[in-house]
Amino acid sequence: MPANSTLLLHRLDVDYIMMHIYIMTSTDPRDFLPLHTNWFHILLSLVGCEQHGYGIMQEVLQRTDGAVRLWPATLYGSLKRLIADGLIEESDERPAPELDDARRRYYKLTRLGRRALELECERLEAMVRMARKKRKLEAYG
Amino acid sequence: MSHRLNLCLSLYRRLANAYPHEFRMVYGEDLDRLGEDAVPEAWGRYGLFGLVRLLADIALRLPAEYLDEIRQDVTYALRVLAKAPGFTSVAVLSLAVGIGMCSAVLSECRAIVGPAPGLRDPATLATFIWTTVSYPYFERYRDARQTVTAAAAVLGPVPFAVAFPGDKGKQAERVSGHLVSPEYFTTLGVTPAAGRVFGPETEKPGMAPVVVVSDRFWRTRLGSDPHAVGRGLRLNGSMATIVGIGPRNFLGIWPQSPADLFVPVTCGVSLAPELSGEPLHRSDREVFRVVFRLAPGVTLPAAEAALDAMTRNIDQESGARRDRDRKGHVVRLMPAGTVGYATPEQHALVDTFNVVLWALVLSLVCANLAGLLLARGSQRRREIAIRLSVGAGRARLVRQFLTESVLLSLAGGLAGIVLAYGITHVLSSLPLPSQIPLEFNCQLDLHVIAITLAIALAAGVGFGLAPALSSTRADIGVTLKEGAQAPLRGYRRFGLRNLFVVGQIAASLMLLLITWFVALAFLGTARLDTGVEAANLDLVSLDPVRDGFSAERAAALFTDLPDELLRVDGVRDVALTGSAVPSHGDATHLSAPAGDGKVVLASAYRERIGANYFATVGAPLVGGREFDPRDREQDAPGSKGVPATPAILNQTAARTLFGAEDPIGRRIREGEENYTVVGLARDMRAGFLVSKPVATVFLPLTAEWIGKSAARPVTVLVRGTAGRNTMAAVRDHMESLHPDLTVFDVHTMQEDLDRINSFARWTSAMYVILGFFALLLACIGLGGVTAYAVVRRRKEIGIRMALGARASQVQGLVLREGTALVAVGSVLGVSGAFALARVFAAYSDVLARSFGQRENNLILLVGAPLALAGLAMLACYLPARRATRIDPVAALREE
Repeated sequence: MPANSTLLLHRLDVDYIMMHIYIMTSTDPRDFLPLHTNWFHILLSLVGCEQHGYGIMQEVLQRTDGAVRLWPATLYGSLKRLIADGLIEESDERPAPELDDARRRYYKLTRLGRRALELECERLEAMVRMARKKRKLEAYG
Repeated sequence: MSHRLNLCLSLYRRLANAYPHEFRMVYGEDLDRLGEDAVPEAWGRYGLFGLVRLLADIALRLPAEYLDEIRQDVTYALRVLAKAPGFTSVAVLSLAVGIGMCSAVLSECRAIVGPAPGLRDPATLATFIWTTVSYPYFERYRDARQTVTAAAAVLGPVPFAVAFPGDKGKQAERVSGHLVSPEYFTTLGVTPAAGRVFGPETEKPGMAPVVVVSDRFWRTRLGSDPHAVGRGLRLNGSMATIVGIGPRNFLGIWPQSPADLFVPVTCGVSLAPELSGEPLHRSDREVFRVVFRLAPGVTLPAAEAALDAMTRNIDQESGARRDRDRKGHVVRLMPAGTVGYATPEQHALVDTFNVVLWALVLSLVCANLAGLLLARGSQRRREIAIRLSVGAGRARLVRQFLTESVLLSLAGGLAGIVLAYGITHVLSSLPLPSQIPLEFNCQLDLHVIAITLAIALAAGVGFGLAPALSSTRADIGVTLKEGAQAPLRGYRRFGLRNLFVVGQIAASLMLLLITWFVALAFLGTARLDTGVEAANLDLVSLDPVRDGFSAERAAALFTDLPDELLRVDGVRDVALTGSAVPSHGDATHLSAPAGDGKVVLASAYRERIGANYFATVGAPLVGGREFDPRDREQDAPGSKGVPATPAILNQTAARTLFGAEDPIGRRIREGEENYTVVGLARDMRAGFLVSKPVATVFLPLTAEWIGKSAARPVTVLVRGTAGRNTMAAVRDHMESLHPDLTVFDVHTMQEDLDRINSFARWTSAMYVILGFFALLLACIGLGGVTAYAVVRRRKEIGIRMALGARASQVQGLVLREGTALVAVGSVLGVSGAFALARVFAAYSDVLARSFGQRENNLILLVGAPLALAGLAMLACYLPARRATRIDPVAALREE
């Protein structure tokens, strides 16, 4: 690091440093399966767009019809873990100004996160398929 | 918003503020804002339950975040420690060796005076310090129910000629045993492995003789016979029935003179010649040792006072006279029931000594740690400054350093405990230096471990934390600009690091010197203390009365024996004696008339010796003459009432009775007899850590004594010539002249002394090992610190070399600093060792003797500092050499 920027660090650099300080355990998406329910919902919310914490919370609440409620501390704790494991990252871009709340931090999926979500979906589908097959057998037997 | 919501929000905010600093830096704002939105929403959607859940969520997440941080701290600390393997291994090794050594040595020393096997509750047993009493006195003590719940009298060790009924023609074996009062086993709380033990009702005079055998005897001589109880055994010619077998490993109350046979004192004189003369009813036969079982709640000093008062009362009644010690006591108590016996003073001395050693080693370890950790702390100032500027919280940084220190200390502590167990295991498997066939079970004393660990851990944590605490307060900007080479405040010439190095050297030198002093003292015990010339001196014991000789025949035998043996080829000197080295087994009282009509009393030990004794043992008299063959006759008083029976006093006895006057020709009285002093002998000492020589009176082996005390064997001392097997010739001679005489216990004087001093030698070996460990510890520490110092100065060395300094000059630079420290430390260490040695010498004669020895002093005072300095310089030299290999350009580029 050049010496003259030592004292003028942006907040983002802190995350950068912290990310490198924490041990990155693995880069294989399969290691994250099965995904914790909260994580699944958070990742799902970030598919295709970037969100801030409040937005994620609202979307999850809406999508599950109030069944899954992400309380603040749990939400940010999970976001912290997800960043540490490399599944999501802070977004540098800001969405369109009219939707943007300048004070908030926005998150987006990483490739690893996307892949992990895909694998988790496949896993859940496979499980549902198995259940359906079993129920069919039951119906006939 | 309603009051309830406001309360909830303020609680929420307070909890949110409690989150770790780094978490707050990133998510703090979001958390707060989300909370502001979430509170009314939760109230609206879920009501009170919602608010509770909201608060619960943030509250429960709080410890999880902290734990997460701690986990990160630990992981980071491990990585940091792993990246500096040299430092980590030195620190952990220091701790491990120090803790292991301290715990093991201190525990071992306590185990030596561990409980004797087979006894119940040995802590409440006590006995008189080296005093024997008469049986009537013992019976009075026994009845003092307030002080003692039980008491037993023991006469021993006593030899028994053991033969098995039906074994005709075989020579009887000599087995050692004790004559015990009927309360013996119940007082000691010994439960038999088979059969029964004695009791006051079952053991009465006139009943058939019985005997209890030890487990060892049952295994070795009776072949583990399951029907041993009830068998007959011929003891000293009379039949006795075995009524019980002792428990495993029980060899009597004094395992150091193990007893295999236990016979009640009521057995009668035909079984035990020691009981001739009715000792059970006479107050003047003071031959019994007493073991007390103290009443519950009675402390040793209280019991001592009570028994002392009682003794004085009985003395007054019977008119006996005893002299008192410094405190005015006539008898003193010490704890019984242990494997090794030591008076409370000896105990205190050994304990203090060991604690001092332990403290020195521990301070050495702490100094090591301090030097290493502080040095490393200064190295990391730049890292700390960067992290502070990047936004790390102060508390977080300090916590991280704390984690590192704790991990290091824990690792060292655990390794130390493992090492301590290893050392004690090895110690336990070493053969004991004496004949005691006991298991030396050295257990680690948990108190010792706990205290040692606590101190070492505190040192590790404290010294690891100190640089962190000071660095986090420093001016960041200044630190960053100056880089790691900036001298910290306080790291000047008399700075902390140098202080610790000097302290290390001083402590390790003190440790070395003291332990080697002590080791040398003990090693020199054999030759110095007893004063006998042990080379080519053989001993053999004879007990003619037990072999069936009549008193007259025995007397005639002993009269002729020395001349007979002198005729054997190779024999230079022969003497007879009651015991070869003063055994301190027979205490008596002497009195002498002083000039002003008063009578001077002294208690002394009594030894019976024959003619030519002192010449034979190689300790010639200081004045007067030896006994000669004429003294064997106890004549009627010679001229004008001067008793013709001679006696020889040793220097201590003479000093007590006559002061500085010449004792030759003076009269003394021992018991009922009068004697004339004809010779003055040097003080001979035997025994371990005896602080003063004891007064001894030497009386001649008269025919009367031989006949009267049929109990005692006579030892024949034979001084042979080097290179010849004199003993074989002597035995052949004896065979031919006296075929019916049992010749037993043939050994050399050296073996005797070895046995007495084996304990001392064993202990001294331990101390030498301790000294080496101390040296190792010091070198570890010095090497580590010096290496670090060199690393710190890489840039400076690089510059110097770039400017043209030669390798030798650079090495000189590093070594010079080291030499100064070593010199100062050596001076401090030597003076400290001197001071300590003087203190200990004041308490122990053995140490004082060694301390005064010229050669010892020179060897140690020159050798030890040299050894330490040499190793220290080596520890400095190696990093210095590495320093010269530094590429100047690379060093300069390093930032």
